[in-house]
Amino acid sequence: MSDGFSNYNSGDRRMQAAQSLNFETIGFLGKIGRLPFGLILLIIAMALVGTAMLFSAAHTNPAEANLWLLHLIRFGLCFLVMMVLAFCPLNLWLRIAFPAYLVTLIMLVLVEFFGVTGGGAQRWLQVGPVALQPSEFAKLATTLALARYYQMMIGPTTGGFVIHLGALAIILAPAALIFMQPDFGTTLALIASGGVVIFLTGLYFRVIVMGVIGGFAAIVPIYNFVLADYQRERVDTFLAQLTGESTNALGESYQIEQAKIATGSGGWNGKGFLQGIQSQQDFVPEQHTDFILTVIAEEFGFIGTTAMLLAFAVILGWGLVISFQSKSWFGRLAAAGATATIAFYIVFNVGMVLGLLPVVGMPLPLISYGGTAMLTAMACFGLIISVHLHKDDRLRDQGWF
Amino acid sequence: MAMRDLEALFSRRMIVAGATGGVVWAGLIARLFQLQVLETERYETLAKENHIKLELAPPQRGRIFDRFGKPLASHRQAGRVALVPEQIDDATKTIARIANLIEIPEPRLERVLAEVKRNRRGASSFVPVTLAQELSYEDYARMNVFAAEMPGVDVEMGATRSYPQGRDFAHVLGYVARASADDLDRLSDGMTGEESGRLRRLFKHPDMRTGRQGMERFAEEWLRGTPGFRKLVTNAAGRVIEDLQDDRLSPQPGKDLYVTIDADLQRAAIERFQSESGAAVVLDIESGDILAMVSTPAFDPNDFVNGISSANYKLLQDNVDAPLYPRAHGGVYPPGSTFKMVVATAALESGVIDPSERVYCNRYYHFGNRTWHCWKKGGHGSVNMHQAIKGSCDVYFYEIARRTGVEKIAEVSRKFGFGESWTLGMTGARGGLVPDNEWKMRVHGEKWYEGETLNFGIGQGQLGTTPLQLALMTARIAADGAPIRPKIIGIGPATDGEKNLQAPLNLEIMQRMKAGMFGVTSEAGGTAGRSGDLGLGGPRLAGKTGTAQVRRITQAERNSGIRKGEDIDRKLRDHALFVAYAPADDPKYAISVIVEHGEGGSRTAAPVARDILAYAMKTDSRRRPVYTELAQNTSTDGPVDGGSR
Repeated sequence: MSDGFSNYNSGDRRMQAAQSLNFETIGFLGKIGRLPFGLILLIIAMALVGTAMLFSAAHTNPAEANLWLLHLIRFGLCFLVMMVLAFCPLNLWLRIAFPAYLVTLIMLVLVEFFGVTGGGAQRWLQVGPVALQPSEFAKLATTLALARYYQMMIGPTTGGFVIHLGALAIILAPAALIFMQPDFGTTLALIASGGVVIFLTGLYFRVIVMGVIGGFAAIVPIYNFVLADYQRERVDTFLAQLTGESTNALGESYQIEQAKIATGSGGWNGKGFLQGIQSQQDFVPEQHTDFILTVIAEEFGFIGTTAMLLAFAVILGWGLVISFQSKSWFGRLAAAGATATIAFYIVFNVGMVLGLLPVVGMPLPLISYGGTAMLTAMACFGLIISVHLHKDDRLRDQGWF
Repeated sequence: MAMRDLEALFSRRMIVAGATGGVVWAGLIARLFQLQVLETERYETLAKENHIKLELAPPQRGRIFDRFGKPLASHRQAGRVALVPEQIDDATKTIARIANLIEIPEPRLERVLAEVKRNRRGASSFVPVTLAQELSYEDYARMNVFAAEMPGVDVEMGATRSYPQGRDFAHVLGYVARASADDLDRLSDGMTGEESGRLRRLFKHPDMRTGRQGMERFAEEWLRGTPGFRKLVTNAAGRVIEDLQDDRLSPQPGKDLYVTIDADLQRAAIERFQSESGAAVVLDIESGDILAMVSTPAFDPNDFVNGISSANYKLLQDNVDAPLYPRAHGGVYPPGSTFKMVVATAALESGVIDPSERVYCNRYYHFGNRTWHCWKKGGHGSVNMHQAIKGSCDVYFYEIARRTGVEKIAEVSRKFGFGESWTLGMTGARGGLVPDNEWKMRVHGEKWYEGETLNFGIGQGQLGTTPLQLALMTARIAADGAPIRPKIIGIGPATDGEKNLQAPLNLEIMQRMKAGMFGVTSEAGGTAGRSGDLGLGGPRLAGKTGTAQVRRITQAERNSGIRKGEDIDRKLRDHALFVAYAPADDPKYAISVIVEHGEGGSRTAAPVARDILAYAMKTDSRRRPVYTELAQNTSTDGPVDGGSR
């Protein structure tokens, strides 16, 4: 319509000037109107699916019969958090990115010394009555820090290889700390979602190829020298069951084997709600948390499980679109990173339950029982929605805070 | 190069990332398709075979202890081989292989094979069939090694009921056995269909036994406990690979039971009988506790726990000494002269005779056109009541019985507990018979003849009593007629409506009876003078002898004098009886003894009674039982367990 300079009357110019001075281009009510209601409804729907599945998984066991209610309450609280975060202006996110990253690093260090052992690893930090899992927060904090870093670095005159080294450092510092806990799954997820962000900022393709080759080359030394015995055992049994070798039925493969049986016995339609005998009779261990998918698969079959995966795909696709539409690098990369974080949760969890990946201890977002993971996922969604609401915001791109 | 269009690059990379995600998602869904659609049959089969099995866990049956805590019925761990029909590939082959490894009688092999094949088709195909039990350690170890290769073969340790005292308590405790169809009908009587089904399933478990006889049967519900479940993870072969602990599901063991009997006294009494068959009952006069209840010979209840072979059972049944017969509470004998105190009491109560009135005994008593005899050659001469009891003069008792009449004697008999069945927590108790006019008319359809009253007067004829009743009678006399509540269960289920023996008896009359019984053992002319001293340096016992006729004495025998000794077949010899209490001056123990075919009460039964009483007093059998504390520590309706385990 115009080249931006000609055919403007004075009023138009004044409007433009006014707008260019005002960061908040829309008010609170305007933001509500702009909320991605479809995305929010999908999130609520997935949480309700999780509630129903927890009810089914535990209803035969009186001691766990109220898990579904706790899950619902937690979701309600986390939903409020998500909405509050969603309305935070991007500049606020930008401001807290580095401090949050720093605090997370400190917490990760503290876990090494004061952490509570859970599930064979030091993962929990007891703060008053609340047990926190800093490695969960690290996912969001690292994403924010990366986005913040590129927001600062990417400009017309930059884009060289060197700036990506800084990003790599931002990823590897928390990754190394989490790996020492040891929590191999979270480490991988963190590196993977960080890698996605770097990928999106245009790292040279040949560097990516070299990185992938290097990663594969590192597998053998990592397996031999870095992994703990129990982790090696998990990889071994995973490979054994993948190749169809017989495994120790009482050992690690027991869990995978039971998960596969529960899943496979679901068939096309599944056995129906509350009819999942395999998963209900305490047969699949951890069926409330990491293996909740077996309940869905057994009770709702291929059709139900696929529908759930597609719903997740829609949620993630929505996240990518939001990322795509954002005008700022920070917004783009934060939304993309948050989307990738959730995507890797899902991929690792589903892959593990279906026997495609080693057992890494990764919950299914919104559906598995567990407070910190729920909070992380909802915070990620809050960030994504915030990027959507503030996609046109102008951001300060210099300075640390 | 440095001026690449990063915005455009971002867009392209975004598309690449989204596409990669799509491929990964497609991969996950493809895997889902593989598991849930392509391979679903395989996993469905696995799911059916491979699940957590809730296996019925039978409760541990409550144990039975004597009054001092000695175990009378407990448990023994024993190896067992069971077959689960639904999991066996080839029943014939499997059983043949097991028979190769351990010794199993052939009839059993055939029976088990038939049962396995039958069960395979039915709804009970998951119920294990026991192939061999009571495995030796070597057999158990060997079976354990090979069982891994044989699907459907369970080798495990099971609890078996065990009776450490063996025969001593066979007739008191009875025994347990696998529940038969009859047992199940009896046990499930009055239950709803669901309860009955649950009970029937429970009793299919190889560890489950039900009380078939005696206290085991009477106290079945007390002892049984509540079944629970074991959570078992099994593999495709049905082999248990994990036993998940779940306290909410564990079975509740049955309640322990305490009897009032002193196992040591019981043992001593049985030993005293030596090879004689007979019965003895010892009572604590004050508390009514039964301290010993002997019926000998007996069977070994351990033989019945795992099912007795029909050949062995037939041996027991055909044994002339009748080891299966619970003589003490289920054996009905004419009481003979031990009944004379009852007749005397009836006469005094009705006032037909004064205790000092004398009756002349020249051995013969004529009534109607018949003649009755006294046992003593030449007769007793002129006797008053005291002398008549002491010397057991039959003529005196013919006379007072005739004067008193059948109805009054029957009435007083019932006051002493005759004619009534005292179950007390066992099975097999019988009430005997107290005859009277009404009975005669009802059963025989004719009126009572006065001549029959004469036989009644000396404890013969239709009258039938059990050794338990005789002991109760003695205890009531010794207690001067005070009420007595006999019991054999110290802690256990309620019995018989807790009935008392409390019909009023006159104190003066009872003391007169006691004087007579003291005379029997301790005065000149007493029929059991030799047995009066307990051998404890002072205390004496007071008692009464008796002879129960096994058959009528013929006139020819009476004339020839051949009535005793080796001259007649042992089977036809009279039973010897003796009832007594001790110490004579302060009665604590009452006893009745019957020695079958022992002929003379004073010669065979009295020494047995004396020695048993002496043992009881020496070891103080009636001292405080251990369970009194348990009873205080638990509420009246609460189970008596836990603390003692």
